[in-house]
Formats: sequence, structure tokens, C-alpha cells
Amino acid sequence: MDRKRVAGPELSVAPLIEYPVDHKRWTPQQEKRHDSKRQPEDMRPIYLKTGLIGQASGSAYIELEKTKLACGVYGPKPVKRIGQTFSGRGLLTCEIKFATFSCAKRRNQMRDPQEKELSQILTQALSPAIRLDLLPKSAIEVYITVLESDGLGSCFSAAITAASVALAHAGIEMLDLVAGCSASYIQTGPARSISSGAESIPPQIFMDADLEEEKYEQGSIVLAYMPSLNEVTHVLQSGKAEGSIISQSVEHCVEACNKIYAVMHHALLESVKENQTQL
Amino acid sequence: MTSVADAVVPGQRLGHVQEYIAGAGTYALQDFLYASVVGLKQISRTSDNELPTMTVQRENSQSAIPEIEAIVTCKVVRVNPRFASVNIMVVDGKPCKDDFQGIIRVQDVRATEKDKVKIYNSFRPGDIVRAQVISLGDARSYYLSTAANELGVIFGTSVAGGSLVPISWQEMQCTKTKVIELRKCAKPMQ
Repeated sequence: MDRKRVAGPELSVAPLIEYPVDHKRWTPQQEKRHDSKRQPEDMRPIYLKTGLIGQASGSAYIELEKTKLACGVYGPKPVKRIGQTFSGRGLLTCEIKFATFSCAKRRNQMRDPQEKELSQILTQALSPAIRLDLLPKSAIEVYITVLESDGLGSCFSAAITAASVALAHAGIEMLDLVAGCSASYIQTGPARSISSGAESIPPQIFMDADLEEEKYEQGSIVLAYMPSLNEVTHVLQSGKAEGSIISQSVEHCVEACNKIYAVMHHALLESVKENQTQL
Repeated sequence: MTSVADAVVPGQRLGHVQEYIAGAGTYALQDFLYASVVGLKQISRTSDNELPTMTVQRENSQSAIPEIEAIVTCKVVRVNPRFASVNIMVVDGKPCKDDFQGIIRVQDVRATEKDKVKIYNSFRPGDIVRAQVISLGDARSYYLSTAANELGVIFGTSVAGGSLVPISWQEMQCTKTKVIELRKCAKPMQ
């Protein structure tokens, strides 16, 4: 018997089916969002809590309906890596890991190129907000585990939000919190074609698109934004869209980030309150 | 008194630069003062003709990291004729979660007669040393100095295993066997 792997349970149960067999799939032509209660500019409700990982210096857990991820921050601690030259600034390393069961298709245990890329982008999005100049020769490590992913854009923006709350929870000096927000450009009507000319509707901007909506997207944007300093730390734009649509979606994202900031603010105040009652 | 109502988060605006001096846990940007950590804000006034200082008391204290001129408590792990390697465990009274590497070079052991210093007559592995950070050092270790009366070995164990008590600034005596061992002793602080 293979002892390295977890053996399956003796009792087997039928898999959970998300939708019934006769379920009609959502298409953007229905002029409604996948979650029919949401307007195009609406986000999903956010649940955010700090301090779930006891051994970490700081931690946060975020949930946007089916997007769920946990973040742990370790450090600042001495840089132990060999071959590292002297640095007067702290070193920030981020790592995003999708749990094997997090996506529709099983993810590999090994770190894949997508995780590597997202980790790098996360480092770029967070480092402008952290006062790394105060932490010479030290390293901060941010680990994110995606427990369930419902759309890559929303998952990544939730990672930015959770990571900055976890950093603040760890007591690391920061200029501001960083809120992340995503949007997708989705063609709801007939697409513009050169042959027919007329009858063209610009794509709609769906904020915080979920997985079903992401399947129809023409492009997407993820914005990392510092709400109280009013500065953007990172823009990740992919796909094809007109300039006017992009600038409009940036505005929408900034607006949404301000809403997310209220949630982050509340979560951190809750942690202060908890500490106060313990004393 | 501080209460939850004084709780702030990073990036929260605390006031105008002309009203307060930026203390620990805050920073000034352009004309305003912002919080940089989660915690409770406090305003302390030292004298009437000075501006009050705004500080934010950290909620979850970050692990201490060595700074220049900080007094650290460390443990000697290795000695060689040029320097003693130490693990920094406490910085300014605050414990480090993870030990930082430091070295005390032979020329930094004491202030006078530096050329006559022998590392093995000053430190032995296992000694607890009070030292001052003089430089952030190289990629690996901080540079420390014990060139002051109140700096040096504060606790040590003799060859026989008894604890050592200082009898002069460079000698310590074993409490078990009364054997005298050489150390760079720290002046006991009352």
C-alpha cells in the first residue's frame, strides 16, 4: 500500500452536484448577471477576518461567496538565503498556492507557472504600500492558500485585499492598506463586426465577475489601490477592450476599492476590539 | 485613557503636520500625518512650547529587529581569533522571534589596548553578552561592539559547569570550583 498518500475513505458517497442535470447554463445574452440579484456594478458581499493562523505573525481569511482564501504573514525575520547581498531594504516575498481542490479542474501539488506569475504580481502590488526601508536586512513572507476559486480575477483581487490586511495585522509598518478589485468586459449584445457595420453595443463592465461570467469575458482588469492615499499600486489588464471602456472600468474599480476599504477597516478594528476585551 | 474609539488602521489620517510631531507608528506625507500600523493612537505632550507627539501603540507587536546603536543581548556561538559569532536574541529589551546573526570583531571588544585583545580571553561559546550594534554589517551578520564598561559578558558557565561571577573587569570566578576564567565582563548594573 502506498503510505505516502492519504487513503480514500472506506465509505463512498455520491459527489456533490452544483447544478441539476437539466440546469440551463448562463449566457451573457440574458442581459442579467449570473447571480441575477447583482447589478453590473455590484460586488459580492465580503467576509473578512484576521487572526485565524495562530503561528503566523499576522493572518487573514477572506470570502466572497464562493471565492475563499487564507493568508498568513511571517516576519520580519533575518534573511537566510545564501548569495543574498546586503540590502538596506526589507525583502518581500509572496506565494500564492491554489489548493488541489480549489478549481473546477484539480490543481497540481507542484507550483505551476500561473501561481509563480500571480505571486510576482502580488509582490509588485503590495510592496509600494509597505515601509520596507524601515526593515533593513529582514524578510517578510506572505503565503496565500486559495481554498476555493470562483473566477481568477476575483480570486487574485481577494488575495491582494487579504494580504494587506494580514500585513497590517502582523504589525508591519505600511503607508496604507491595499484593496484589490476586478472587473470583466463582457459582450451582452451582438458584437461589433466590420461587415454589418451598424448595430453594435459596447461590452458591459461586470464588477467582480464569477467563474461563469469569466468564461464569456473579452478581457479583464485587476486594480490594486491605496484608498486613503488615492494611489494605484498595480493595474493588471488582459484581453481586448477600447480605451474608454478601460478608463471607465478603472473608475468603477476605484469606487469598489473604497467600499472594500470599509470592510478592511472594520475587520482590523474588530481585531483591536478582541484584543482589548482579552486584556 | 485609550479606548477602542482611538483605534486606527494604516493610512488613516491623524492630523496636520503643523499640529503634531510624527512619533512611532505614524508618518508624515506632504501636509498630513498618517498612521502606519494598527493600534491605538496616543497624544503625548512633553513641554508647553513644543508640539504634542502623535504615536500609535501597536496592537500586535512586530518582532524586534536590530538597529544601529541598539543595545542587544546575544549568545556566543563560535569564537575564532578574529571575531566571536553571536546570535542576537533580544533588542532593546524586546525579544526577537527569530535569532539574528552578529559578530563582535577583535577590535570592537574593548576601547583601550585593542591590539592586546584575545578573543578567547574575552568570550567563550555559550556566554550571554550585552553589546551595542555599531553597523548593519555585511549580508550575513550585524557588527556589534562591547567597548564600554556596561557592555560585555553578563552570564557565563565555567568549564566545571558552575555559573561565573565577575570579580574584575576582565576576570570571572566559578561559583563551584573558584577557578578564575578570563572574560570581557560587563559592569553589573544596579
